[in-house]
Amino acid sequence: MSIVFCQLSTIEKVKTEKSNPPQIALRFFRWYCSPRLLDYIEGDLLEVYERRLKTSGKRLADFRFAVDVLLLFRPGIIGSRKNNYASNHIDMFRNNFKIALRSLWKNKPSTVINVLGLTTGITACLLIALFIQHELSFDKFQSKGKRIARVVMEYGFEGRPETEKGTFTSTKVAPVLSRTFPEVEKGVRMTTVSMILRLNNEPVTESNFLFSDSSFFNTFDYEMLEGNAATALDGKFKIVLTEAASKRYFGDESPLGKILEVGEKKTPYEVTGVMRDYPKNSQIQFDFLASFSSLGENQEETYFNANYTTYLLLNNEFAFAPLKEKLDPFMEKEMKGTGATIHFHLEPFREVHLQSPYPAFVSNTSMSYLYLLGGVALLIIVIVCSTYINLSTAKSIERAKEVGVRKVSGAARAQLFWQFIGEAFVVCCLSVLVSFSAASLLLPYFNSFVSRSFEFTDLLTPAFLLITFLITVAISLVAGSYPAIILSGMQPARILKGLFKNSSAAKQLQQSLVVFQFAITVFLIVCTFIIRNQLSYIQNKSLGYDRNHVLTLKIGWDTDYNQMKTLKQELKKHPQVVEVSRCGSSPEKIYSGYSMRLPSTPETEVIMVNANPVDEGFVKTSGLHLLAGRDFSQQDIELVTPEPWENKKFHYLINESAAAKFGWTPEEAIGRELVLNTTGVIVGVIKDFHFQSIHDALKPIVLFTSTWGGRLIIKTSGDDIPGTLAYLEQTWKKIIPDRPFEYSFLDDNYARMYTTETQLGKVMSLFSVTAILLACMGLFGLSSYMMQQRMKEIGIRKVLGASLMNLLGILSGNFLVLVIIAIVIGSPLAYLIMKNWLSEFAYHTGIEWWIFAVAGLVIISITLITVSIHGIRAMAENPVKSLRSE
Amino acid sequence: MKNYQLGEFEEIVLLTVGILNNEAYSVAIKDEIESRLKRTVSMGALHTALIRLEDKGYLKSFSGESTEDRAGRPRRYFEITALGKKAMLHAKETREQLWKAIPKAVLEYQLRVTN
Repeated sequence: MSIVFCQLSTIEKVKTEKSNPPQIALRFFRWYCSPRLLDYIEGDLLEVYERRLKTSGKRLADFRFAVDVLLLFRPGIIGSRKNNYASNHIDMFRNNFKIALRSLWKNKPSTVINVLGLTTGITACLLIALFIQHELSFDKFQSKGKRIARVVMEYGFEGRPETEKGTFTSTKVAPVLSRTFPEVEKGVRMTTVSMILRLNNEPVTESNFLFSDSSFFNTFDYEMLEGNAATALDGKFKIVLTEAASKRYFGDESPLGKILEVGEKKTPYEVTGVMRDYPKNSQIQFDFLASFSSLGENQEETYFNANYTTYLLLNNEFAFAPLKEKLDPFMEKEMKGTGATIHFHLEPFREVHLQSPYPAFVSNTSMSYLYLLGGVALLIIVIVCSTYINLSTAKSIERAKEVGVRKVSGAARAQLFWQFIGEAFVVCCLSVLVSFSAASLLLPYFNSFVSRSFEFTDLLTPAFLLITFLITVAISLVAGSYPAIILSGMQPARILKGLFKNSSAAKQLQQSLVVFQFAITVFLIVCTFIIRNQLSYIQNKSLGYDRNHVLTLKIGWDTDYNQMKTLKQELKKHPQVVEVSRCGSSPEKIYSGYSMRLPSTPETEVIMVNANPVDEGFVKTSGLHLLAGRDFSQQDIELVTPEPWENKKFHYLINESAAAKFGWTPEEAIGRELVLNTTGVIVGVIKDFHFQSIHDALKPIVLFTSTWGGRLIIKTSGDDIPGTLAYLEQTWKKIIPDRPFEYSFLDDNYARMYTTETQLGKVMSLFSVTAILLACMGLFGLSSYMMQQRMKEIGIRKVLGASLMNLLGILSGNFLVLVIIAIVIGSPLAYLIMKNWLSEFAYHTGIEWWIFAVAGLVIISITLITVSIHGIRAMAENPVKSLRSE
Repeated sequence: MKNYQLGEFEEIVLLTVGILNNEAYSVAIKDEIESRLKRTVSMGALHTALIRLEDKGYLKSFSGESTEDRAGRPRRYFEITALGKKAMLHAKETREQLWKAIPKAVLEYQLRVTN
């Protein structure tokens, strides 16, 4: 090596002494000449120059040199560097690939840890990416989507600050707006209901039964398989089926022109078309699409009676703001003198799914949930990358010799850099392959997790493969670049002399990465604990009503009173049935809004209140506590039977909060008159109960006597449930055969209200377990390398008489400090974020100190165990072995 | 019959490489042509011709020693391949055939004119 250097330097010297051809020309020549020819031709030029220098002097020689260079500037000689190394690159790549595989094979433990870690991380990312991509794609397929608005109605009463807001609108909105404003091209009214259809002569409830105006086909995209979209929904009792529904009801026959019997009254609907099923990522979902006029509820008298969703097709996508400006004064004029105020807001159709607080026909996903998932995916990737970085920097000592030799043989730093990046890429690709199979295995579980129905083919769409590729490249770059920089920056002389050690910078990085990983893990563990706590709080909270062993069944809102009376009496005959009640809504979810006032106050000064029509069994069935007065009696209910409306006499049960609104104690309220629908008498006061999500505070509620209602709730003793159910079904089929017997349990329904929270809990538990595993794997690998480096130290200590515990203390102390720092960083972060999360609930658990203690203990013990495994193994070895080698 | 592509200057270079036998590298070739044919040869033209001949497979090259007057750059020696020899012969034969085909009178006339 040194000899070569010598020669080169003398030659440099000779050259500069003897001759210097014009440097500009020479440099120009070197720039354009193909590297393959450079040396030879440059030699020629110099030789000739030298000769001319002797014969004709410097100036002429210089001139002719320049001319020669210019004349050499021609196609055969100009060449780029790339072309000439093309074949070499392939060889180099092949060699690098081979070396990568060999070194991976040689370091099996760390390869396994890396691949396992990366696989876990990438699988999690793939699934999360799949979910996020799906949610982001919602409604994007609608070609007119940018021009569609969903109408949100906000109403209140004059003199009262509180307003109600929601996607409910009356049938009047669409026709009036499209007539009045030129911006509105079309209006579509929709409502989705559960309908009873007959499939093979058995009643079945179809919950995706959508009524819609015929302008549906002008506004939304569709693909008609049979029938004519222009006329399909014209007129009453016309129905379009989706392909799936048509298969279900008519098999392979064409259903066109056939009749479907809909509802309890078996109204015949004519099938006028079959359309392709709507994609999964649509906010509008239906199996049946029936003409809106079939409902017979078309009216233009009032903006109230708002039970429908209205979509508007605007004439261009910029019409939202101008239209909204015109809407407010218009509605002010419309509502003048009614004592009520109504405002309409327009939601851009495409933003509904991710941004709107009001669900569409499928439940929305909040953007923050996506951010959370994305954040979790990112955290996992970070942990995985840290593990990779740690392991590769730790084992860089082993690769150092290779790097040294490569450098001596002329490898450039960039080449080495890309070699190690390439190695990371190989590991990543391996992991991606494994991840794909893992993801396909996990897909069913994931689906039930997020309540979606992804298929394996969704993983193979070009867009998704591109995402995967990007993730792979990103991980290889992030994980590979630090080790690559470290390794490629080594000085060959030092390495080959054997003076190499991990630099202190690398050590610091390793340590901070360990801290980082464990801080994330602590954070996730604490969050999981708190979320689980809150979930069990929700599960076990006493809500003021009894939800154990209570069944709810759907019945017709106006199913005959006497028929229901018979049914209730028959059902009660079974020994396990404690009480039965017919009501408007079951107690866990009462949202119907009414307004109440005292007879003495004017009609415009009302208090908004939730109310529920119930019968005499409701309080007993749902286990509500009476504070004062009495429960409804059979007579109270009978007083509601007379027709028409004016002859009915109502009785009310109110809760404490409602009484407090009027400034009464429970006792004072008894016997007072109240105006809800009509004037009635308060007979009793019940204790407050949670009839809505516990995100919200307790609210006032009024229960009123009624002979109607869409629910039947049955309290059973909880013994012999199958037998009871069989009896219930049998009795049901006997008395109301036209209704399907479909029941659910109240506590299930209650739990379903907190699906988001439950999902969050599950996701967080899963990911904190993943994070713990990944962090442990990283620690395991790292400690094994540390141990290898400290073998001699351990040997000496052992010889000098250190005990096992002594040594373990010394070995794990280092890591323990790091983990404790991690706990100190992670806990407050989790505390802050979780405090914020809990504040969304009006009722929540506290964040207790033991959560942090447990999380800390878990982490510390896991660390100790992980480190001790290597420690014990190292100590079991005979110290002679490690000390002999020197 | 195979078609041998050989330009005029290429033929000269090829022949010169033959003359120089084992000592043929660019500057020597250039000198040889210049002294024998009394024409200047630019480095560019010569190298392009050499590259082309090599690409065609008429010449092959190998790196020689590096010398001081070349500032350590190696010489690149050229040698005629078997194919190159065939091409040269072919060129010569076609010329001769053509020569033979020319009527004597034309040649005499031509000679007279030139004289």
